[in-house]
Amino acid sequence: MLNYVIRRLMIGAFTLLLITFVIFGLIRNMPGSPITLAMGEDPSRKISAADLERLRKSYGLDKPWPQAYVGWVGQLLQGDLGRSISRKQPVTKLIQERVGPTLLLSLTSILLAYILSTPLGLYATVRSGHLDERITSVLLYMLYSLPSFVGALFLLIVFYQNLEWLPLRGMTGDDYESLSALGKVLDIGRHAILPITCYTYISLAYDARFIRANMAEVVRQDYVRTARAKGVGPMRVLVVHAFRNTLIPFVTQIGLTLPALLSGSVILEQIFSWPGMGRLFFESIAERDYATIMGLTLMFSVLTLAGQLLADLLYALVDPRISYS
Amino acid sequence: MPTTLPSADVHLASAAKQSNISRGFWAEAWRQFRQRRLAMAALCYVGFLVLVALLAPAIAGTKPVVCRYKGKLYFPALAYFNPAWENPIFFKDRFRKLYPENLKKKDPKSWAIWPLLYQDPYRRIRTGEWEGQPENPSGDKGRPNRFNLFGTNQEGIDVFAQMVHGTTIALLVGFVSMGLAGAIGIALGALGGYLGGWADMLLSRITEVVMCVPTLVLILALIALVDKPTIWHMMAIIGCTGWTSIARLARAEFLKLRESDFVIAARALGVGWPRIVFRHVLPNALAPVLVPITFGIASAILIESGLSFLGFGAPPPNPSWGTLLNSGRQNMNLWWLIFFPGLAIFLAVLAYNLIGEGLQEATDPRLRDAGR
Repeated sequence: MLNYVIRRLMIGAFTLLLITFVIFGLIRNMPGSPITLAMGEDPSRKISAADLERLRKSYGLDKPWPQAYVGWVGQLLQGDLGRSISRKQPVTKLIQERVGPTLLLSLTSILLAYILSTPLGLYATVRSGHLDERITSVLLYMLYSLPSFVGALFLLIVFYQNLEWLPLRGMTGDDYESLSALGKVLDIGRHAILPITCYTYISLAYDARFIRANMAEVVRQDYVRTARAKGVGPMRVLVVHAFRNTLIPFVTQIGLTLPALLSGSVILEQIFSWPGMGRLFFESIAERDYATIMGLTLMFSVLTLAGQLLADLLYALVDPRISYS
Repeated sequence: MPTTLPSADVHLASAAKQSNISRGFWAEAWRQFRQRRLAMAALCYVGFLVLVALLAPAIAGTKPVVCRYKGKLYFPALAYFNPAWENPIFFKDRFRKLYPENLKKKDPKSWAIWPLLYQDPYRRIRTGEWEGQPENPSGDKGRPNRFNLFGTNQEGIDVFAQMVHGTTIALLVGFVSMGLAGAIGIALGALGGYLGGWADMLLSRITEVVMCVPTLVLILALIALVDKPTIWHMMAIIGCTGWTSIARLARAEFLKLRESDFVIAARALGVGWPRIVFRHVLPNALAPVLVPITFGIASAILIESGLSFLGFGAPPPNPSWGTLLNSGRQNMNLWWLIFFPGLAIFLAVLAYNLIGEGLQEATDPRLRDAGR
C-alpha cells in the first residue's frame, strides 16, 4: 500500500512538472504582456522603449521562458507563488481572498445536491417503471442537459427581470457596509441564491441518476432477495441492505469532486459577477497575469491529481476486495 | 495494479462486452437502439437540425434560392455558405445585396424563387425591401412578431434568421471537433493500450496532463496564439483538448482485447502490429468508444457556445447561438435574445446526450439485458 502511494506521488510530481511547463510556455507565448496590456488603454501612459525594457527586466520578463520557468519552480520550492504584476499583490493573498466566496457556493451546493439527490434516487428505485418515476427521470435528465449558463440566464430573467425578487450580480448589495451583522448575512444569502441554485441543479441531476444506476444494480443482488425473503421491511431493505452497498462508488465520487470544490465555475461566476476563483482565473488570463495563472493552474492540477489518488485510496478502504499491493 | 482511475475501471467494467462479437453486432445494436423512443426522437431531432443547416438559406435569407436573370439561371442563396460563391454579375450590376427591387428593375423578365422568410442573419431589413413587410424594429422594441418570429436584436437583425444560420455552426462544431478528438483519442489510446510498456507510460502521462490542465486556460491560451481566430480554429482547439476520455476508454478496451484469441492468432500468422491494431482490434473496440464521442459532441457544443457567450467565440458577424445569448445578457429586457438561443443550445445538448445514452444501452450487453 505504502509502495503504491509513494509511486503514485512520484508519478504525480512528474505530471505536475509537465503540466506547469506546458502552461508556462503557452501563456508566455500569448501575445501581449501584463505591462503592454496595462498601458494599452491609456495613451498618456506610453513609455519609452528603454523604460519598457527596464520594467520588463524588473519583472523578470526579459528572460526566455524556459529560464523563467526554472526560476518559477525554484521560487515554488521555497513556498513562494510569486506576485501578480497587474494587481501588485502576492498570488497567495489573491487566492486567499477569492477562496471564501467560491467555497460558499461549492460547499453549499454539493451538500444540497447530496441531501436532495439521495431521496430522489431511492424514490426512483422504488417506483422504477411507473409513470411518475419515468416523468421524474426525464425531468432530471433534461435538467442534467441544461447548460449552466443557459439555466442561469433563464433564472435571471424570471427572478431578476420579471419578479424583481433577487439581485442581478455581485456578492453584496450597495448598502452592505451599513447593514447589521444579520443583515449582512441575509444580503449575501440573497445574492447567493441564484448561483447556488445553478451550481446545485446540475450536480443534483447527476447524483440522482448516479444513485439510481447503482441502486438498479444492487437491488438485483441475491442478498437483497434474501433480505426480502426473510421478512425485512421494504424500507429497511432499501436503505440498510441496498443503499449502503451503493456507497462504494459514491465515496470515490467524493474524491473526484475535490477540484470542483475550489475551482469554481468560470462562466457562472462571470454571469453573477461573483468574486471567486473562476472569475480570478478568467481575469488573470485576460490581464496576462502570469504568476496568478500559474498559481491557479498549479492549485487545480494538484487538487485534480490528489482527488484521483484519494478516490483510489478510498476505493480500497471501503471495498476490502481491492488492494494495491 | 490499477494505475488508472476507479472511474475508468468502472467504465471498463460497464464497457465490458463479450469478446465473441458476432457479425450482426451493429445490426443488433441498431435494433436495440430503435426500441428506445427518447433516443430515436433525439436522433430525429439531430436529423432535423442537419436539414435546417443545409436548407438555412432557403428558410431565411434575402437572396433568391433560384433566379433567372438576363436569360441565365443563378443560385444566389448559396452565397450564405461561402461568400465567394456569389456570382460576380450581381456585383457588376450593383445589386448591393438588395435582390427583390434590383431584379425587377434591371431585368423586368426575371423571376426568382425566394426563401420562406425574407430576413437576413447579417443585416437589418429596411422599409420597402419586401412588399408588405415593415422595417425590422430595433432597440428594445423587437419583440417576437409575425415578421420576426423570434424577435430582433438591438441592431434590428432578425433572431430567427440568425439562429437558423447558426445551426450550421452548432452542428459543425460537434462533428468536426469530435471527429478530430476521436481520431486523436483512438490513435493514442490504441497505441498505448496495445503496445504497453514505455509507450503506454508516456501516452498515459500526456493524457493525464491534458486532463489536469483546466480546459478553459488551454483553449483561451491556444486561441490567443492564433492571429485571427475563426470558427475553424475553435473547432480544431476544442478537438485538440477534448480527446482524453476517448483515449482512456480506447486504451482500456485495447488492453483487454490485446490478450484475446483472435489477436494472438493474427500475431501467430505474422501480421504486423499496425495492421493488428487498426484492422483487427479497432473494429471490436469501436462500440464503447462511440459513446464518449457522442457525449463529447454535446460538450463541444457546450464549450463553443460557452466561449462565444464569454466573448471568445469566432468574430462577431457569425451568428452562433452563444453569441446571441451573449448579446441578450447585455440587456435582460430582450428576453427573446436569451430564451430562443438558450432553448436551441439546451435541445441540441439534450439530443446528443440522449443519443449517447441510447447508444450505450444498445451496445453494452450488460445494460441491455438489465433493461426491461
